[in-house]
Amino acid sequence: MGQRKRVAAVKNPSSQRHSGAPAEATRVSNRKHNICMVSDFFYPNMGGVESHIYQLSQCLIEKGHKVVIATHAYGRRKGVRYLTNGLKVYYLPLQVMYNQSTATTCFHSLPLLRCVFVRERITVVHAHSSFSAMAHDALFHAKTMGLNTVFTDHSLFGFADVSSVLTNKLLTVSLCDTNHIVCVSYTSKENTVLRAALNPEIVSVIPNAVDPTDFTPDPSQRQDDRITIVVISRLVYRKGIDLLGGIIPELCLKHPDLHFLIGGEGPKRIVLEEVREKYQLHDRVRLLGALEHKDVHGVLVQGHIFLNTSLTEAFCMAIVEGASCGLQVVSTRVGGIPEVLPEDLITLCEPTVRSLCAGLETVIARQRSGSVPSPASIHACVQNLYTWRNVAERTEKVYDRVAGEEVLPLDRRLQRLRAHCGPVAGSIFALFAVLDFLFLLLLQWLVPDRIMDAAVDATGPQGLWRRETESKNEAYSKRAMKRAADRETL
Amino acid sequence: MEDETFTDISGKSICLDCQSHSSFCREFTVSSPKVSIGKVMVYTCSVWLLAYAVFFLTQNTAVLSSAILITLVGMMFHIHFVKVDHETLLVIGSLGIQVSSSYASGREITTFIEMSKIKDIVINEAIYMHQIIYYLCVLLKDPSEPSAVSSVVPLFQSSKPRLNCLVKVYKSCQEILSKSQ
Amino acid sequence: MVLKIFFPQCCNRADSGLLVGRWIAGHDSAVVLAVIHYPFIPGQVKQYIQQMQAQSGVELSVLGSWSLPKEGQEGMESFLRDLSTIFPQERWLQISRQMGKMGFTCEILNRGQNGKAAQRRVKKEKKEEEVDSGEAEKDEEEEDEEKVIFVHYEQRKVMLSQLHPIESGDPDLKTDPPSELRQVFQTVALSQPLFFLDKYDDGPLKSTHWQSEGREASIIVELLKQASVPLCLLLSWMLSMWTWLCSIRIFSLYPLRFLSTKLSTCVQLSYRTEHMRTLSSPKAAAGHTQFMRKANMLVSVLVDVALGVLLMWWLYRDEHIAMLANTLVPAADHVAKELEQLLQWLMGAPAGLKMNRALDQVLGRFFLYHIHLWISYIHLMSPFIEGILWYGGLSACLGLTFALSLLSDMVALFTFHIYCFYVYGARLYCLKIYGLSSLWRLFRGKKWNVLRQRVDSCSYDLDQLFIGTLLFTVLLFLLPTTALYYLVFTLLRLVVVLFQGVLHLSVDFINSFPLFAIGLRVFRPYRLAEGVKFRVLCDEPGVALHLLMERAFDGRVVQPMEEAA
Repeated sequence: MGQRKRVAAVKNPSSQRHSGAPAEATRVSNRKHNICMVSDFFYPNMGGVESHIYQLSQCLIEKGHKVVIATHAYGRRKGVRYLTNGLKVYYLPLQVMYNQSTATTCFHSLPLLRCVFVRERITVVHAHSSFSAMAHDALFHAKTMGLNTVFTDHSLFGFADVSSVLTNKLLTVSLCDTNHIVCVSYTSKENTVLRAALNPEIVSVIPNAVDPTDFTPDPSQRQDDRITIVVISRLVYRKGIDLLGGIIPELCLKHPDLHFLIGGEGPKRIVLEEVREKYQLHDRVRLLGALEHKDVHGVLVQGHIFLNTSLTEAFCMAIVEGASCGLQVVSTRVGGIPEVLPEDLITLCEPTVRSLCAGLETVIARQRSGSVPSPASIHACVQNLYTWRNVAERTEKVYDRVAGEEVLPLDRRLQRLRAHCGPVAGSIFALFAVLDFLFLLLLQWLVPDRIMDAAVDATGPQGLWRRETESKNEAYSKRAMKRAADRETL
Repeated sequence: MEDETFTDISGKSICLDCQSHSSFCREFTVSSPKVSIGKVMVYTCSVWLLAYAVFFLTQNTAVLSSAILITLVGMMFHIHFVKVDHETLLVIGSLGIQVSSSYASGREITTFIEMSKIKDIVINEAIYMHQIIYYLCVLLKDPSEPSAVSSVVPLFQSSKPRLNCLVKVYKSCQEILSKSQ
Repeated sequence: MVLKIFFPQCCNRADSGLLVGRWIAGHDSAVVLAVIHYPFIPGQVKQYIQQMQAQSGVELSVLGSWSLPKEGQEGMESFLRDLSTIFPQERWLQISRQMGKMGFTCEILNRGQNGKAAQRRVKKEKKEEEVDSGEAEKDEEEEDEEKVIFVHYEQRKVMLSQLHPIESGDPDLKTDPPSELRQVFQTVALSQPLFFLDKYDDGPLKSTHWQSEGREASIIVELLKQASVPLCLLLSWMLSMWTWLCSIRIFSLYPLRFLSTKLSTCVQLSYRTEHMRTLSSPKAAAGHTQFMRKANMLVSVLVDVALGVLLMWWLYRDEHIAMLANTLVPAADHVAKELEQLLQWLMGAPAGLKMNRALDQVLGRFFLYHIHLWISYIHLMSPFIEGILWYGGLSACLGLTFALSLLSDMVALFTFHIYCFYVYGARLYCLKIYGLSSLWRLFRGKKWNVLRQRVDSCSYDLDQLFIGTLLFTVLLFLLPTTALYYLVFTLLRLVVVLFQGVLHLSVDFINSFPLFAIGLRVFRPYRLAEGVKFRVLCDEPGVALHLLMERAFDGRVVQPMEEAA
């Protein structure tokens, strides 16, 4: 895989620079890490980032690393929870400000995050999503505490309006001493490098993945007397729902056997409802409301064509899921979408109503003439493109590389901040870094590290969870063996 | 009967006293250090000095008398409602678990939980005052469905011992519980 | 399994005899209720127990024997053992106390399924053991099988405490079996007839248990109970008259009915009627909660009337009423004057704000005219005020709450103009806000869809938009004037409402203050205990565990027994 080679190429010079001998590099690659994933977005919230974190953590646990996740409290879900395979999730009680993202003051999250990092003996902090204030906080605090950091960017940003200028500045500051950045597509990498003024060498591309076993085609669910177009996305402006509202009446007028199946919830739902009422399309446009992840497959297999109208997208998981279920995919040509699927599986259009309609017309015509590849063949193409094991392997390499790097001491960190982020913002954030350091000293004086109980390991090399469950019964070990065999074949 | 010294989550030393009355009845007492005279003196003196400063500025004697009143009431309140001297966990096999905490003034709060309501005793993790700590708790059965947990009763709430102390108590509690169930 | 024996403290020093009590099924525990002393005739004991069982509804039985050795009494063991054959039981307890020792020793004789031989053998073993070691509990094998906890309880407090559920039906009929401790409490409470047997009675049986010591005082209580019956009858007759009066059709006409729900005096009247109806019902209280509610009600009514009489005494002493009446009219005048000044201020440039002059003048004049009307009404009323007060004051003999509610009603009547102002202001303001919000939607090309309860987009004509925008501007510029009037009158209304709120709060406080419960809590704390508390009494090695069961008053986290109360 081309992307993977590129990662390796990126990796080599720096590893030589830092570790010197290749022998040491191999030793490093065998070692197990204690990883803390930090993001504002995690289950029960649903979305791409959430499932990315979950799947990646599961695969890393399978590889023997210790993984914990820190996120903010969701309603009554706060405290410590365990998920499958002993994946530990800290739901920290931090105030949610806007759109499930916490309020940032740069300091108030330090005591709790420090507690998590210390008691779990974390070595690598991995933050996700640039929308998440908690992720930025965690990067900042981890550097103050002398931990290595990795950041994964899941989204694209503009450069023009005020909010993106501010976010970009914040990103510049918080990524300026992050050891490594992971992007989900090349477009996203370009975007991030430009936005945060980064050295492209420390940015690698690891795409997202889907679980192909969850998304298998099932043509028997389709109704062959009609053509169904499936749209599954949150109904928000960024996903181009206004475009969808323009497409629906135009196509429905032309093709009386066309049906729309729309899954998802959001503030733009009203647009679709109005369209439906205005053109009397109640029997042909079905709004399913919010879908759970397990129900998505059942909806996808009912359709012939998957439509994605996003206005901006770093890596679109939805189209991979659609293609994996054997659907024809029509999408806008924005962000990282052109990289995701090979040409013959996707029809790309400009993000306008006319272009999308034209694209859909051609696909409908193809569908009617029966010249489309069978769902099974599409699935076969897609199923090995993106797997979580592959993602985990590549992420592991990033961790190996990061673990060997040194963490800048405070004085050099300040210099770097000022050199990297401009005189004004750099000085302000250098001051913040000093204050953060002082706050950390105060906390260390109030509650020294030695009186914090080390958390009982659930995962990781000596994980209690694994030992117990493996010794528990025969059936489980069989399953584990099967899983190991799977791993080898992969 | 043994006396051991542990620390609580903020590093202060506490005493764990395990008394075994019989093979199915054990008593665990966690005692925190007593109210120190020095601390009381410091607080009282600081309040009085402050009151004197205000008096010096305003020439109002009511300030002084109210300062004395405040320290007295504050101290009473502290020893009666805040300062817990020791907490006791009495586990009686096949009868129940009794949790009591006695305050510095001698006031005692007792709760008895019958064995038929108890599902288990476990060590759990919680977020407490910008820290994440371990604590011991009793799980209560839901009367309508016996497999579900209806509520949780935390133990040793005011003296929060660290994990090693909790593990010790937990193990000997489990011994008794496993025998009686 | 551990055997639990609940043992009353008053039997600690009882003479040797038979233990009477109850096995609690399914929990492996026994409640000892009394000790019947030697000498007795077994037939009589059986008869007595059956009689008691019929009276109390508790499955009483002879649990075993109790021996307190005295000087010169020996060789009881074999006799005690023989007793178990007379009173056949699944298990037979032999509890004994030794001189100079705190703890009890207990032996348990199991009656095997295969008849008497097995039983004998067990006994033999037991005997040998006792000879060998002197302590029945020493044998480890025995200890594994049967362990005994003695739980001492104070019979009187347990009996009078209200923790046990007093259901009308059979407790066993419930789907959920009651917990063990509750069954213990219930057993003790229900077996009250057992405790009537006096120490000094000359019956065939002598027994030790808790005994009431205040039989004489209870005569007064009995007399009171007797007297309360005709009183209740009288009360209920009066009540029926009163309700008949209330239910005359004229009262259910629209304005009267509406008024009576608004006047706090009427509300209080109906409330008290309800109280009286509950109090005068000849039935005894069904449960503990019912009883407490009734007692609290009675005490609060008494306190209320006492306070009311006190108030009357003060009111009618030195012409206080005339004084009040003379100050009332000037006070109302004064309020009106202040209001007029306020309106004048609002009609100018209040707080430097520049208002819409025309609207301001119109509103100000309107309100001024209203005040004028009001003052003339007050002056018309002024000769009658003293009379009203005098007769109103009489209502205090029904209780302080009536006087307070009457006061609240009078305040409401005297400040009726403020209420009117508030309503006008609020209505005007509300109309404006509605108009503005709907015009704002028109402005954005939206409209409120009434059928779907949501905002839809809508395309308007040019003239619709023009007029809408025009109206929007006009309303927007007139808004500050209306808002200011609204604000000022809301504040005024708030002051009145606060005062009335304080009055209502005090009325509610007197109505519902649980004085009786507090008194009980102070003088008889065990009646209202929240849970139980155990204390380890003695832990001599080798002796069974002794616990003392006490009542806890400060339960904190969970009160497992609270559902009963």
